[in-house]
Formats: sequence, structure tokens, C-alpha cells
Amino acid sequence: MNALLGIEWLKIKRYRTFWVLAGLFILLLPLWNYEVENGFIRLGGGKDGINFLNSAYSFPQVWSNLGFWGSIFITFISILVIILTTNEYTYRTNRQNVIDGWSRMQFFHSKVLLVVVLSFLATLYLFVMGMLFGGVNSGSLNSLFSEFEKVGYFFLLSLDYLGFALIIAILIKKSGLAIGLFLLYSMIIENILKSVINHNLDKPYGNLLPLQASDELLPFPLLQMAKGMIPMGATLSMTTYAWMAIAWCILYYFAGRLILSKNDW
Amino acid sequence: MSPILSIQKVSKAYGPIQALKDVSFDVPEGCVFGVLGPNGSGKTTLLGTILDVLIPQAGSYSWFGGMKAEDARKQIGSLLETPNFYHYLSAYNNLEITGRIRKNGIDDRIRVLHQVGLFERKDSKFQTFSLGMKQRLAIGAALLGKPKVLVLDEPTNGLDPAGIAEIRELIRTLHKEGLTIIIASHLLDEIEKVCTHVAILKRGHLLLNGPVDEVLHSEDQVEVRAADITGLQNALQSMPGIKKIRLSDNTLQLTCDANTDTAQINEFCIGKGIVLSHLLLRKKSLETKFMELTGT
Repeated sequence: MNALLGIEWLKIKRYRTFWVLAGLFILLLPLWNYEVENGFIRLGGGKDGINFLNSAYSFPQVWSNLGFWGSIFITFISILVIILTTNEYTYRTNRQNVIDGWSRMQFFHSKVLLVVVLSFLATLYLFVMGMLFGGVNSGSLNSLFSEFEKVGYFFLLSLDYLGFALIIAILIKKSGLAIGLFLLYSMIIENILKSVINHNLDKPYGNLLPLQASDELLPFPLLQMAKGMIPMGATLSMTTYAWMAIAWCILYYFAGRLILSKNDW
Repeated sequence: MSPILSIQKVSKAYGPIQALKDVSFDVPEGCVFGVLGPNGSGKTTLLGTILDVLIPQAGSYSWFGGMKAEDARKQIGSLLETPNFYHYLSAYNNLEITGRIRKNGIDDRIRVLHQVGLFERKDSKFQTFSLGMKQRLAIGAALLGKPKVLVLDEPTNGLDPAGIAEIRELIRTLHKEGLTIIIASHLLDEIEKVCTHVAILKRGHLLLNGPVDEVLHSEDQVEVRAADITGLQNALQSMPGIKKIRLSDNTLQLTCDANTDTAQINEFCIGKGIVLSHLLLRKKSLETKFMELTGT
């Protein structure tokens, strides 16, 4: 396992695109949240609007908030996974790895491990940011670990998004098309599908779609406050969503295995 | 001695196109095995199949008498179709990845780069390489860690004549060192110079395979020309010992049996009142045999 990761690192560490995309994630997460904290998004707009997210960066709400914005920025890492995988197809280095002595599954597992490690690192980074923001904004550390499950949810969400990106890359094989399809699906198509299913079935099963399942784990922070005020549609429990996200990840794994073992490279 | 590679009834189709049909042969240890065929005959498909890059619809193959495929590949240096490397990495760093996957050869990189003449460019990024340099790097990667077997798909692709001669010398040297080398090519004179065994493919069918001596036979060819070609041809039809007469380019190519020599032909023609303007003995070449077999 270490051998596989070591070789993946050799492939990545000198690749400028990796550093750019990782750097964007690393930079934007704290920067964006700092801006939000200082009143970037206000109800009513303008300097006199209500900065309703002000209290959102102290413990324990910081976990929810960072988690939500993290779930947006994970897109950068997803694009990275797609590029790294489609590159192997474009330059046929996937073939070369197998010819040199890897089994097909070893190649697949090196990419799966990449997804897991990137998810872990993103979550770790989120944790550190959370401690920083929360530490600065909270009076006490009493409520540090309440709502801490959001950090775990972020790890699941990362696995879900990155795993989905990996499968898209394996299926489409061309970077531009794969990225386009991924963004189109995650931003537009899934929302449409979700609404259609929810409406037609009159139950929130549309929330169980691949990326949506983990999106539900880390909703927009406003919802916490507005749940009382605005009538929201029915929703399923967090546990259900968590299990669904895990199920999707398992599906991605076996789908990848099947595709890569049965086809010509 | 068990064969290094044994292929049994491999068939592979790309949709409606049957690229390989029931191909079977063995590659003995220590030989230089040429896989020949016109373009589209299935050479690259065959090599791709035995390297687990392509999946056959039927048939099987085994390396080293049944070793696990990926372990076998770690001892096989291969070049398949095109040089495939990470374009943003240098030659030296690309070889590092090759060495790590094979778990062997990291220390061998400098030697191999010298061997293929890329030492001066070892730190240049792969994307800056010319076609010939890319090909050399691919050959270098195949040589990394001194593998027991080489599988080379058109190794001289993109190389200048000096490069082609270098490859020929390299193959000869490695053959002497005991390596088994499998080469796919359509450059018949190159194959003829280095191979000990051949397999000839045409449109996915194996036409024949075996040692080069057996495949070539000892059928020499004699070229003759005279002022009256038709008269000469008619006269030679009646000469015993001439197995076949073919007219090409105003010259008659005669296939004779082992007992007939040029002096006899000359004497025969004079006896018939025909003076030959051209008489040449040619050892039968692989190219001629190849053209015969593949019907071109």
C-alpha cells in the first residue's frame, strides 16, 4: 500500500497543476471563511445589511459552517482527481504502469488510495482551520467537540465527491469532457433530478442521489436558523444520509474494479 | 527447457474486426523471436494481449511456465506501440517510476541512459524530446534492471539509420548474454539480420512459425536476363531443376533445386542458342518468402 502511494506521490509531486489546485483549496478555505465572518454575505445587501453569519465561527457552529464551505471547495480537489486520472489515459501511462509490472488492480488501487489520502488531508486541514477560527471566536472551549461529527461528515463527503470524480474520469477518459460532466452533474443535473424525484414521489428520496446524499450532511448554515421560520420539505435522518454516502462510495469502488478489469486499456 | 512464453489459441476482436484468430506458438528461451506481418496483421494486438493491456475473447498465455502475470512483467522489459511517459517529468524521474514499479533498477538508470545515448538529456522534461529520443527512452526503460526478456514493438520506429544500427547491435549483444528477445516489426531485412525464430501473421492468422532456417528453406534464387525474355522463359520451362519461373521487371526469377547451379543454367541457355545478358545468384531472402506467403 505504501509502495503504491509512494509511486503516486512521485507522479504528483512535480506536477504543477497539482500544486495549483491544492493551493487554491488551501488558500480559499480560510480566506473565504474569513470574508464571510467579516460580513461578506449579508441579508439585505450592502454595508448595513444584517451580518447573520457572524456567530457562525465560534464553537460549535464553526464545524457546520466550515463543513459547508468545504463541501463547495472540494470541487477543486475533485477536478484534480479527474485531471490526474484522465492524464494517465491521455498519455497512456496507465498502460505503461501495467506493462512495467503493476497489475490492473494495483493501478486502480493507487488511484483509490489517492482519493482516500486526499480526503483525509482535506479533513485534517478543515479540522485545523476549525480550531483556528473557533479558537479565535469563542470565549471558551467547552463546546469544541459538540457537533464534531460534522468533521466526520466532511471526510465522508470528500470520499463521495472524489470517488465520484474518479469514476467519471475512468468512464470518460478525456479531461475536458470529464470535468465538464462532473461540474454539470454536481451543480445542475443532480439538483434537477432531486427536485423531480422529490416532487413525484412526494418523499425526499431525491436526496439520496450520489452527491446529494453527502451534501445533506453539511447543509447551508442558514438552514439551522431558518428552520423555524421557513417551512422546509421533509428530510431524512443524518444517519440515513451517512450510510447512503458510504454505500455510494462502495458502489464507486466496485464499478471501478469492474470497468478496469474487463476492458482493453 | 520450457518455453519462456506459451500462447494458446488466442483470439481477439475489436468489435467486428477480428484482429487475432486462434494464434498459438511457443517462444523458446534465449532466442530472438521475430513477429512479422504486414500492417494490420495483429502484431501489436498480440503483444498487447501478452502484456495484459488487451483482453482476448478466447485463448490464454503463460510466462515462465505459469508465473503470476504481473510478477512476470516485472522481469520483462517492454516497449508497446508508443513511448508512454509523464510529459512533465524528466527522463531520469520517469525512469524512477519505472524502477519503483518493477522494484528493481533504480540504481541502473544512469547506465541505461548511457546505453541509449540520453545521458546528456537526462534532466530534460519528456515533452521536450524528439521522436527518436522518446523511442530511445522507451528502449532504456525496457532495459532497466537487466530483465530476462525483452518485448519490443517496432523498436526502430523514429530512429535514424545510426540508431537502427545501434538497436541491431544491442539486440545481438543481449542475445549473446542470454536474453530472450521478442520483436515485432515489418522491417524484414532488420529481422533477418538478428532473428533466430520467426512467426508470420497475416490478418490475424498465424501463417507459420519456427526457426529462421526452417522457414527460409535453402531455396536460392537465380536472376537471368536475355535479349528475348519470352524465348528465354520458354526455353527454361524445359530445363530440369528449375522449380519455378517468375517474370518481374524484365528479369526472370528462377527458383531452383539444390542440385542446380548457375554454371548449369548458363550452359543450358547457350545450348539453346540464348545468350544471357545477366546472371545472378541470390540467397533467398525473408522478404521474398514473406511476399510469397502474404500473397503480395
